[in-house]
Amino acid sequence: MKQDNENINKALRVLIEPKDSKLVTYLNSCVHCGLCAESCIYYLTTKDERFIPANKVDLISSIYRRYCTFTGKHFPKLTGARELDDATVEEMIDQLFGACTLCGRCTKHCSIGIDISYLVREGRRMLSEMNLIPATLQSTVNTALETGNNMGIPLEEFEDTLSWLEDELRDEVNDPQASIPLNVPDVNILYTLNPREPKFFPLSISAMAKIFHAAKEKWTLSTSMYDVTNYAYYTSNDKEAKTIAQRLYDEVMKLNAKRCVLAECGHGSRAFRWEGPNYLRKEYPFEVITSVELLAEYISQGRLKLDKSINKELITLHDPCNLVREGGVIEQQRYVLKHAASRFVEMTPFGTENFCCGGGGGQLAMSEYNERRMKIAEIKAEQIRKTGASVVVTPCHNCVDQLMQIDNKFKLGVQIKTLAEIVADAIIPD
Amino acid sequence: MILYKTISLAAFLICCGILTYHLIRLIRLGPPKDYSHKRGSIKAAVTYSFTGAMSPTSKESAYLHLPTYTAGLLYHTGTFICFALYFFMLFDAGLTDAVKWILVCVLAVSGLSGLGIFIKRVSLQKMRYLSNADDYVSNLLVSGFQIMTLAALLNGAYAAYYFIFAVVLFLYLPLGKLKHSLYFFAARYHLGFFYGWRGIWPLKTNGQVK
Repeated sequence: MKQDNENINKALRVLIEPKDSKLVTYLNSCVHCGLCAESCIYYLTTKDERFIPANKVDLISSIYRRYCTFTGKHFPKLTGARELDDATVEEMIDQLFGACTLCGRCTKHCSIGIDISYLVREGRRMLSEMNLIPATLQSTVNTALETGNNMGIPLEEFEDTLSWLEDELRDEVNDPQASIPLNVPDVNILYTLNPREPKFFPLSISAMAKIFHAAKEKWTLSTSMYDVTNYAYYTSNDKEAKTIAQRLYDEVMKLNAKRCVLAECGHGSRAFRWEGPNYLRKEYPFEVITSVELLAEYISQGRLKLDKSINKELITLHDPCNLVREGGVIEQQRYVLKHAASRFVEMTPFGTENFCCGGGGGQLAMSEYNERRMKIAEIKAEQIRKTGASVVVTPCHNCVDQLMQIDNKFKLGVQIKTLAEIVADAIIPD
Repeated sequence: MILYKTISLAAFLICCGILTYHLIRLIRLGPPKDYSHKRGSIKAAVTYSFTGAMSPTSKESAYLHLPTYTAGLLYHTGTFICFALYFFMLFDAGLTDAVKWILVCVLAVSGLSGLGIFIKRVSLQKMRYLSNADDYVSNLLVSGFQIMTLAALLNGAYAAYYFIFAVVLFLYLPLGKLKHSLYFFAARYHLGFFYGWRGIWPLKTNGQVK
């Protein structure tokens, strides 16, 4: 693990050469009040002081103090300034990758107002500069870079899946003209997918196709770039994140779509909608919205006729952190459920206060932290159990995966569904 | 006494000079350039960041820790009063006895609040784990300054000690965590900017469908 000076200098440049005042501000702001502890699922479930968000902040700011402040340079012990040595690096990997889902809950509750998840990502950036990204997470990025999607699905397999889904769609809606359009130019919507959908959850593609059919939408999928995810957001490698975002940008431009609609994926929607333009350093000349907002729009415009009595079971909603707390899509999914389901109950807490499921921040890709990931899931399991719901809806495939594992481990006996699946079930055919 | 006052004023100006350097650096670096499509109002969100988002009902760091939150509020109120009183002391501005006694009472409460926070930091394992020497020194200096202000208000004979203490505080302030007196405002601004850009703040219903 011994780090050479060149790597250390690369990492330190993140702190020494800040792009703007945001990083410098946050590095100088924490007062170690410790009041963020109870906002973090890692600390709440383990009571391990290492997992207090302020400690994660200090891992980065102590290095900053050592190399960038007068007191830290000359009196390091006074301010707890630390060398960027092997021991610090090991702690950084464990805390910043293995003990943070980047859920941003601590940010909202920080007494000062420090964007702690942003600082954790800057810490990850330092590790990225030193080529110290956990191999499991990096391999997901590499697969996306090499194959065009993070699951490495070959084109033939993808087309085959869509082909049988299209056949089933025609049967279901009883319309031989119903289709899942591929690579059609000049449409209203280029729709994206989380590669988990064609690989493991094809019914969520069917659900969206059924919705587009009912809404009489002019839409398309792309076979060359459909992946909404961008795992380089988790590794804070902007160069790789840019490559991935650029591909989707190019595809929207090539097909001349008016809107890019992002599939139900928390980090994917954040990475392309909010971070993507900054990776590319340009504004998008097209509109980007999430499928959650699109569904709300269809319902409010009367383009979808729904019978909510079809969905009779008690439904609860899990709010994905990147979509809700960090993305501002808060009311739309509730509006949709109000029209598509007859019985709905909120978790406690919910909305921007909701707890992360434990699968964010790249945790699902980093198998070395599986035990920890399922430990922190205790909170979400308890939240779900207390609702008494038999269906948990979440507009995020990452969350779907984690919630399924939670259901299995904690024997909750619930079904996990996407929002589109609930809406598709409630559609009244013309 | 003039010598003590002059030295303390010099220390105060050095403190302000260093904090101004920090402020100019922040202004020069500027806010982040965001290329995404803005969805909300930065102005409304930054205002909310300094108001509604700071309220005890909005933050777990407040409503889950009401005694600490209250102590923190009192402590910081006392600190601001002490800085204002410093100029009264410096220029021998007169205060009526009634005002003096009100201030003494306020500073007694705020000074005790500061010491309470110090005791919490020393006694809880979680807090000791997070703390470094600067955390303890900073708290003792500010709490001490409040107590010295109180003493000087009660008895002019303590004025010399008060100004010496002020010198130590002013020279230490920009070196350690006490510089959050500047960075706090920048942090609230950045957080408001971030949440405002994405249309998350000001929070309206937090998901309740009207």
